[in-house]
Amino acid sequence: MATSALPARRRVRSKVFMGLSIGSALLGLTMLAIILGTLIFKGVSGLNLAVFTEMTPPPGEQGGLLNAIFGSVVMTVIAVIIGTPISILAGTYLAEYGRYRRLSHVVRFINDILLSAPSIVVGLFVYEILVATLGHFSGIAGAVALAILVIPIVVRTTEDMLRLVPDTLREAASSIGTPRWKMIVSIAYRAARTGITTGVLLSVARISGETAPLLFTALNNQFWSTNLNAPLASLPVVIFQFALSPYEDWQQLAWTGALLITLSVLTLSIFARMLTAKKAQR
Amino acid sequence: MNAETHPEVVRSAGTKEKISIRNLSFYYDQSKALKNINLPLYDRTVTAFIGPSGCGKSTLLRILNRIYELYPKQRAEGEVMMDGENILTSKESADSLRSKVGMVFQKPTPFPMSIYDNIAFGIKLYERLSKAEMDERVESALRRAALWDEVKDKLHTSGQGLSGGQQQRLCIARTVAVRPEVILFDEPCSALDPISTAKIEELIDELKADYTIAIVTHNMQQAARCTSFAAFMYLGELIEFDTTEKLFTSPSMPKTQEYITGRFG
Amino acid sequence: MSMSETLTATGQIRPKASPSPIGDRVLHALTFGSAVLVLLVLGGVFVSLVHGSLPALQTFGFGFLTTESWNPATDIFGAAAPVYGTLLTSAIALVIAVPVGLGISVFLTELCPNWLARPIAIAIELLAGIPSIIYGIWGLFVLAPFLQRTFQPFMISVFHDVPVLNKLFAGPPYGIGVFTAALILSIMILPFISSVTRDVFETVPSVLKEAAYGLGCTTWEVVRNVVIPHTRAGVIGAIMLALGRALGETMAVTFVIGNAHRISASILAPGTTISATIANEFTEATGDIYTSSLILLGLILFVVTFIVLAAARFMLHRMERGK
Repeated sequence: MATSALPARRRVRSKVFMGLSIGSALLGLTMLAIILGTLIFKGVSGLNLAVFTEMTPPPGEQGGLLNAIFGSVVMTVIAVIIGTPISILAGTYLAEYGRYRRLSHVVRFINDILLSAPSIVVGLFVYEILVATLGHFSGIAGAVALAILVIPIVVRTTEDMLRLVPDTLREAASSIGTPRWKMIVSIAYRAARTGITTGVLLSVARISGETAPLLFTALNNQFWSTNLNAPLASLPVVIFQFALSPYEDWQQLAWTGALLITLSVLTLSIFARMLTAKKAQR
Repeated sequence: MNAETHPEVVRSAGTKEKISIRNLSFYYDQSKALKNINLPLYDRTVTAFIGPSGCGKSTLLRILNRIYELYPKQRAEGEVMMDGENILTSKESADSLRSKVGMVFQKPTPFPMSIYDNIAFGIKLYERLSKAEMDERVESALRRAALWDEVKDKLHTSGQGLSGGQQQRLCIARTVAVRPEVILFDEPCSALDPISTAKIEELIDELKADYTIAIVTHNMQQAARCTSFAAFMYLGELIEFDTTEKLFTSPSMPKTQEYITGRFG
Repeated sequence: MSMSETLTATGQIRPKASPSPIGDRVLHALTFGSAVLVLLVLGGVFVSLVHGSLPALQTFGFGFLTTESWNPATDIFGAAAPVYGTLLTSAIALVIAVPVGLGISVFLTELCPNWLARPIAIAIELLAGIPSIIYGIWGLFVLAPFLQRTFQPFMISVFHDVPVLNKLFAGPPYGIGVFTAALILSIMILPFISSVTRDVFETVPSVLKEAAYGLGCTTWEVVRNVVIPHTRAGVIGAIMLALGRALGETMAVTFVIGNAHRISASILAPGTTISATIANEFTEATGDIYTSSLILLGLILFVVTFIVLAAARFMLHRMERGK
């Protein structure tokens, strides 16, 4: 017969650990709130039209972030243009033509490693092949570095989404004589298109805030520039430079820039989520 | 069991063998799933493949349009003669074969596109038609599948928005749209309610006027209703092949008798 | 009538024009090539790092790993301080983040009502979406001053007379330093641990848990004796994945670690990590040996994270297969 002391001790222990886990959740949420709160508070105070219309200023002067915003947008777009087709094709190989082949196991493994690999190492790689060899920093090199970060994300989501397309659908297409390639392009891609788009959006969100790979590829540029073959400004690198400086206006611009990046990342993530939710509803 | 041994069967069928299966064996990797099958499919008749789960009836069906080739480590040996050629070894591509031998699956699988496009998709693989011609072909395929009246006002809505029975009829329409000669049905009604099932059985009855049909079914009453010939399979072997009437009323083999009377299955 | 012609339903013979098989060869080649390209990227990274670090490798050899000095003036470089900093910050970050992360996933899977679980899970994942540079500047301007004013003086005074620990928590309170960097890292890897372990916890079949509850087990006992043993490989995999991320984290750490090339006993002192060193010094590096040493640091980081991530994947896959 169990004594009443034993259950009580077990109950108390359980309550303690459960209390701790509730505390952890609260801690996590609190950290999120504090970080976002600070970001909004400090970033908004510097938010004005000039941010979007003027270039990064020398210390002590007024200015904005236009060249940095432009550079970031351009490099992100190019990175997606370079990275997405390669990734979708590679993901297609993993899910379709190469599904049962040995090579796919290796590619998946390598892709997973690249997914979490340090982005600064990617920066070093692109430096070696596109900056050291050509003799100068460039926006293109920055875009290539970002593209390398896009690839593992979109490869993974493309393969996952294509795998979700049921084989019965593939068989149905084959059974009326549809060649493999047409089945993939007209049926499988169509069925998986929401998921693949979401993957691309998430990759954009991920590279929007990346700084390390840009540090020695695109470098930075104080002035307005549309020359991709030369150093190009970007929001993350400008924030890096300005935040670590002793100048208050620069620090303020850094906060505002940080707010802009965070808002765009969060908006993209939420939008991507909404897309998946809408698809799931149908 | 063939024309020599059972001339009365051939006479009752009235026509030739559309597909002749001879000494067919099938392997999943190293294990032999079908053992030496010999079986005729007579032109424009409906043949049922029946037997307990795992007997190989679906495996056999899936050889007839070489759909098993989509997967690794599956191979077939023997002869499946159609129009004078062995489809297993012919140089003709599997895609081309499948334009002649269509298949309707257990689970209705409409393509992720509109009803109209579902039908037009297959036709476009082979023919370049004007819009008017295409409209006509789509309509005739949908009429053939007894679906036209139900969907004629919503041809451009998604095929996936239809009910289960309608989706299956859409799949049938899609299959007949490319004008095959043979249609294979793999348990087409097992995912459907009785009313849809009845409609599909009616459809199969009409289709047999123009197509050679083979249907895998678990449902013996369905086999009895819809088919002229039946092949009973067990553990990868063909146990008995005969007219449906004979097989169900006075089967020759004891195993067949046991299955028909529900002793196992 | 040959196989490539058909008898139509009305009896006419019509040749069937099949779509060209070239399409398949083209798509197959394109997809295959792209898959190989992924391999080449990783191979390329490795090869270029090795190539770039050859001068340093030839000059320093394995002694590079144990040398603490980092002197651009005399061209003597050693990885000891950055490596130590990388390992220490990641280790401390794990010590903090693993219990909290597990706590969050236990909360979400066992305690939280369903309607609340989704928004909270999404909120935690938002933490993962925040770019690391944001953590960096938040750490520099908010966390570091806060720690400098409150936590660090407190720790220093508490352990002042305790042997051993007073070396570990020695002042002065800079605010920035190894501990602050580790704290930021822990917040960053928290959502990874939480979401991966949560996915892993959710694979435990409810029947198992219900059976345990049915025997009278408390929630904690179910977690400890049913959920965790069942998912052990997955949890370890999640931790290693988080470790892999922490090791390579650059921007958040660079802002708050203090960038001092030395190994101190105190975790409150400034230090450096591999990625912070590279980020801070690469564009300023002059001379082959300096640049090459930085690239060699990058190679070390790459190899270490590769091993950790490969091990993490292995663990998580073992979890998958065990299901």
